[in-house]
Amino acid sequence: MALMQIAEPGMTADPHQRRLAIGIDLGTTHSLVASVLSAVPTVMGDHDGKYLLPSVVRYLENDEISVGYPALAAAGQDPHNTIASVKRFMGRGHGDVQKLAGHLPYDLVPGEGMLRLRTRAGEKSPVEVSAEILRVLKALAVETLGGEPEGAVITVPAYFDEAQRQATKDAARLAGLKVLRLLAEPTAAAVAYGLDKKSEGLFAIYDLGGGTFDISILRLQAGVFEVLATAGDTALGGDDMDHAIAEWLIAESDTRQEDPVWRRQLLQQARQAKEALTAQEQVQIKLEPEAGNSRELTLSRKQFEELIQPVLQRTLPACRRALRDAGLKVSDLDGVVLVGGATRVPALRRVVAEFFQQPPLTDIDPDQVVALGAAIQADALVGNQREDLLLMDVLPLSLGLETMGGLVEKIIPRNTPIPAAKAQEFTTFKDGQTAMSIHVLQGERDLVQDCRSLARFSLRGIPPLVAGAARIRVTFQVDADGLLTVTAEEGSTGVRSEVIVKPSFGLDDAEIARMLQESFAHGAEDVAQRRLSEARVEGERVLEALQGALQSDAALLDSTEQARLDAARQDLEQFLAGSDADAIQKAAEAVEAAAEPLVQRRMDSALQRAIAGRSIDDLGD
Amino acid sequence: MPNSCIQCGAELNFPPAFCHACGTVQPFRPELSLFEVVGLPASFALDPQTLRQRVLDLQKMLHPDRFAHADGTARRYSLEWSTRLNEALAILRDPLKRADYLLQAQGVDALGENVKVADPALLMSQMMYRERLEDLVAAKDQQGLEDLRTEVDAAANAAVEKLGILLKTLPCSQSDAAAALLRELQFLDKLQDEIDRSEESSQNL
Repeated sequence: MALMQIAEPGMTADPHQRRLAIGIDLGTTHSLVASVLSAVPTVMGDHDGKYLLPSVVRYLENDEISVGYPALAAAGQDPHNTIASVKRFMGRGHGDVQKLAGHLPYDLVPGEGMLRLRTRAGEKSPVEVSAEILRVLKALAVETLGGEPEGAVITVPAYFDEAQRQATKDAARLAGLKVLRLLAEPTAAAVAYGLDKKSEGLFAIYDLGGGTFDISILRLQAGVFEVLATAGDTALGGDDMDHAIAEWLIAESDTRQEDPVWRRQLLQQARQAKEALTAQEQVQIKLEPEAGNSRELTLSRKQFEELIQPVLQRTLPACRRALRDAGLKVSDLDGVVLVGGATRVPALRRVVAEFFQQPPLTDIDPDQVVALGAAIQADALVGNQREDLLLMDVLPLSLGLETMGGLVEKIIPRNTPIPAAKAQEFTTFKDGQTAMSIHVLQGERDLVQDCRSLARFSLRGIPPLVAGAARIRVTFQVDADGLLTVTAEEGSTGVRSEVIVKPSFGLDDAEIARMLQESFAHGAEDVAQRRLSEARVEGERVLEALQGALQSDAALLDSTEQARLDAARQDLEQFLAGSDADAIQKAAEAVEAAAEPLVQRRMDSALQRAIAGRSIDDLGD
Repeated sequence: MPNSCIQCGAELNFPPAFCHACGTVQPFRPELSLFEVVGLPASFALDPQTLRQRVLDLQKMLHPDRFAHADGTARRYSLEWSTRLNEALAILRDPLKRADYLLQAQGVDALGENVKVADPALLMSQMMYRERLEDLVAAKDQQGLEDLRTEVDAAANAAVEKLGILLKTLPCSQSDAAAALLRELQFLDKLQDEIDRSEESSQNL
């Protein structure tokens, strides 16, 4: 093949005829763009040569928008209109981020569906904010490449669920980018690292970014990057170290904590302290909670390391899970690669070295490596032949269907290599049943309420038969992009129904178009009404789920637990009759808390039944 | 099904997924067994390394990323072959699933839902293992869990070895005995999984 290329120079790829493609690392704290230029993956810098763009967007008074360093600089003075770490909100509803939002100085708009932030430029969704960051990166790429890129690979945390991925794709579309693929950040890092160092073997990629943690186990061999397992936490990152320092500062200085401006300044000081402590043994932090009233605190590295220990320890369960899913022991690994700015912290390196029983590999820039890997994959996907590279990814989270009693039956388990397909047969529950509703879910938990709903559709025209006679075959197909298609087919008649799954928080084209044009606040009344109906639905759902669980397994509770649960349930029933959304929500949460032992034991006994196999039936024979 | 390329007519090597002469991906053939798809003889004694290498070599040619810019038909064929290759790797590299697949091919459904198990010895050993695991978890006995895991691993390896003897010649003439071993192995597999989970959750505390 090499001879052919020498013999026919016209056949070789001319640098100018290469298709332009870019890789984007859309990070929690920083974003950057890279491309393969003359066969070398390269990050693109701005006019000052800076390649890291702070992921901060500020809405200014004159309808202008600033992104990056100027926005970051203004974050302390103008917190409501300056959005940082927006990645943490991607694909999330208002309810999902309540806990997180307590830390953050934003004005969240209550309501169902996609989360919104109130700014002086109107209500903004995380998708729109992210699109502003992507627009800046795209403009930088167009200028550097001298032309429009044909497509982009954007990286996401491996552990992002379908809603978070869809939100990322929507943001790219808003920014006018064609998305070739969303690529897991640790996988992208492995590609860049593996090709650069010509490494082969089994590697763990430990990726602690600003707001997300991922661990992936890959096998690198002769240009094939095979993801064996991935795990993580989409709400854990370097930001949490900043918050830990900020909490300490608040406790030490005993000052007002509610003011968002103050809060934002504290976070910035915490961040600077964290970075300084990478090289220094201690750092002075000067606080000025009120004008003319300043004080200085000293934070030693030892104290800092104690403050962040919980964050570091929270990464380890995911490491164990990933190893188990890959069927490997720590001693099987040939190397551990660190990715993400937060991995510069010395205490983290010690924790990682201790867990993996070897010093981590740090000979590559942890800020650049993800974008470089994305650029390499983009180059391959846009049609520039790359014989040296094949990426085999896995499904990050299990996919399943709702079955009787609000339980989830997993159809394709997490960490299955994609593309993948799996079929399962179901049957009818009632005599003469002619339709079946199919509810597709994503997640690891056993109850529908704990998983993320991806789609609902129904199969109609099932021939009326006695219960259990119809054979309905449900097929899941996941393609190499991770896109899921679900097909249901009845065996005797061949009646079919199919859905390409779009998650609940995704936007349709009309919504995107509308978003580009308008941004106005809904009336307060409308919002309150929506909250109430949402709370009622949720409250009723909780009661219904409880009813089902109690019918079969009430005996699993002792009398004290039973009494507590009964009281909580009566409260909820009473509030449901009223119209106080907050009260309903609190009462529903109380019921769920009281039902926790029941849920736990139901799962345990289901597990035991599964393990014991058919032995109980057989003993009866 | 003709064994020649749909594009150039050249004869196809086995597996018939890809034409080495003109590079065209061929229509998917669902009737091929998993062994045929990876181009290996149907046998229980299969080297996992060879299998993995074979699947990766084929994925390098057939993975959908190789056809990101091809027409819709080629993309669909590539998706179907690539999906099937992943399935082949998952099933054939696991001794339990591989044995089950071979027995299913001769009409023996060892692990199906309608199978009645009547092996008192297996039931007894299942109960004893389960009780031991529960006691160890309750006592938070980490070393005991590890010892149990070693013991269960040995039992699983012994079962795989016995299966290897029974499945040496195919079709298997002692399919009842093989089916019983398969059920034992399935139980041990689940037990290994639960021991790992118990160890993991105690480490995570």
